[in-house]
Amino acid sequence: MSTVASKAGLAPLGRSGFRIFLLCVLLIGLCGCAGRLNKAAEQFYADQPEAALSLLERGDWFGKRNQLLFQMERGAVLHQLGRYRESSEVLLQAAAQIEEFERLSLSEQLGSLVTSEWLLRYKGEYSERLWVHTYQMMNFLLLGEYESAYVEARQALEIYLRYPQALKSDYFTRGLMALSFANVGEDNDANLVYLRLAEDLPSMTPVAADLVQLGNRLGLIDEVKRFEASLPQPLPEGDGELVLFIATGRIPKKRPGNVVVPPSIRFSFPYYPDSRIAAVQTRLLPAHPQLPQLSTDLAAIAAQSLEQRKVAIIAKETARVAAKEAISQNVGNEHGRAAEAVVRVSLFLLEEPDTRCWQTLPGRLTLVRVPLPAGQHSLRLRLSGGGLFSAPEIALPTFQLRPGQRFFYSLRL
Amino acid sequence: MKKRLLFWGGLFLLLFLAGCSVTTREVAPDEKVIYDEGYHFSDKKAIVDDMVHSLLSNHPLVRATGRPVLIVYGIANRTSEHISTSGISDDIRQTLVQSGRVRMINETQRKNIEAETSYQYGGNVAAETRIQKAKQVGASYMLTGTLRSIRKKEEPQFRLTKHTLQYYSLNMELTDIESGLIEWADSTEVIREASKPFIGW
Repeated sequence: MSTVASKAGLAPLGRSGFRIFLLCVLLIGLCGCAGRLNKAAEQFYADQPEAALSLLERGDWFGKRNQLLFQMERGAVLHQLGRYRESSEVLLQAAAQIEEFERLSLSEQLGSLVTSEWLLRYKGEYSERLWVHTYQMMNFLLLGEYESAYVEARQALEIYLRYPQALKSDYFTRGLMALSFANVGEDNDANLVYLRLAEDLPSMTPVAADLVQLGNRLGLIDEVKRFEASLPQPLPEGDGELVLFIATGRIPKKRPGNVVVPPSIRFSFPYYPDSRIAAVQTRLLPAHPQLPQLSTDLAAIAAQSLEQRKVAIIAKETARVAAKEAISQNVGNEHGRAAEAVVRVSLFLLEEPDTRCWQTLPGRLTLVRVPLPAGQHSLRLRLSGGGLFSAPEIALPTFQLRPGQRFFYSLRL
Repeated sequence: MKKRLLFWGGLFLLLFLAGCSVTTREVAPDEKVIYDEGYHFSDKKAIVDDMVHSLLSNHPLVRATGRPVLIVYGIANRTSEHISTSGISDDIRQTLVQSGRVRMINETQRKNIEAETSYQYGGNVAAETRIQKAKQVGASYMLTGTLRSIRKKEEPQFRLTKHTLQYYSLNMELTDIESGLIEWADSTEVIREASKPFIGW
């Protein structure tokens, strides 16, 4: 081989330093493969969701490292387009894939230990895993498939209970879980979710009306007395309810952070930049009193989720830096300082933090509930705050409400 | 040396290709095929058999004179999986009809019956061949049920396999529509434990 290679002028290819260099070039190229996802996100935010969708449907250039991201992005875009059935089908696949990721791939882990986190299949932050079910709950409630929404609420609850510290402030998803339980008459499950929400919310008022209602039905007299004091004044009442899922703004992208220790040691880690999207205010025309909103700043939850993985990220980063240092020194001993320098530069460049994330998510999700009398309703919704430049007025579709019924509607601004 | 290398190489390639080939086999409806701790088609058969046997061999159907009229309402899915419980109610309805001991209202076809009746009275159907209105039979009993599940995962520890315990229960009730009383109730359970490798290649 070496003779043939030298005759063909390919002798450098045989050298281990050069082979590592080539491998590094290839892997640096891999890091750029998230390009299609970035482009789709750009198109989505440029009001071209159809174009973004067709790009996402083409999938990854090669391999399945980003398959989960493609599915999550497609799910969110399809939801935005009102294609809730298709969105739910794609997100079901995403949830199945997340389940698969519970098994650790040895080959991937070993590979990423000497190269980069980009080599791994993207498994989703804890928050993103939860939001797959958040979108599913919304999809199924909008489709009128309340049992499926209940199933998703149970799966969401399982994830929430696994990572409560990181996900505690996701009041929107937790409110949606309770609503999905209550919608199929599972009062006890709904009551438990609302009770924990009452403990975590800055004020009990947003969930007091539900806790009083459920407490009365379940015969929990002490709880009814406890929460009656926190009821919103005046208490909105009606035969049925209009439920709005309002998405505003855009979740920030993960950014690369670096700490360089001379001559060539580079610690890299992803982080979310500080970003806060203010809550949106809603007013119905003609006026109807609303229950207090439950709202989630998705950027804050995403940052908390990443923070919770910090110890694992630092441990792996340290192991990778040590492995790369050992490789560089080994190449230096065998092939001289020039080869070592090439390898050091390559490995330095390769140390790129994994900044992949679900980009088409909104910055804030708000749950608005408006008790209404039974009958036909033609309403307009006026929004303000929440970083909106103007105060848009949106005409809601005309709907018929029966006693005890909920009408769901999703909008994104 | 070369020949030996060729032999082992060929053997390895053959084994590799055999592993990649697609295989199919027929599975008998009563055969138990279980891949994981989740709900499987063989569970449906087992729980339907259990429930129908209990329903027909207990009060009020065991001593019923004539063939009581029943209506099966859907079985509520209260599990954490997307299980089509209409498959369970379809099978219960079918097994009860085949037993010949009860008569069943076809609740799922009510809209179609209504549409067909309207069509017959729409002017296109000969009067003598039209069905008579207000002749449908009312149900005496209503059969309802709930499928529930509890999933318990082993606490994270340092080990190579992960254990999951899955519990399913189907609770069913027969309600006398006139009195509103529950005349029969029973439940059947499936408990399954699975262990999955925590690490794979």
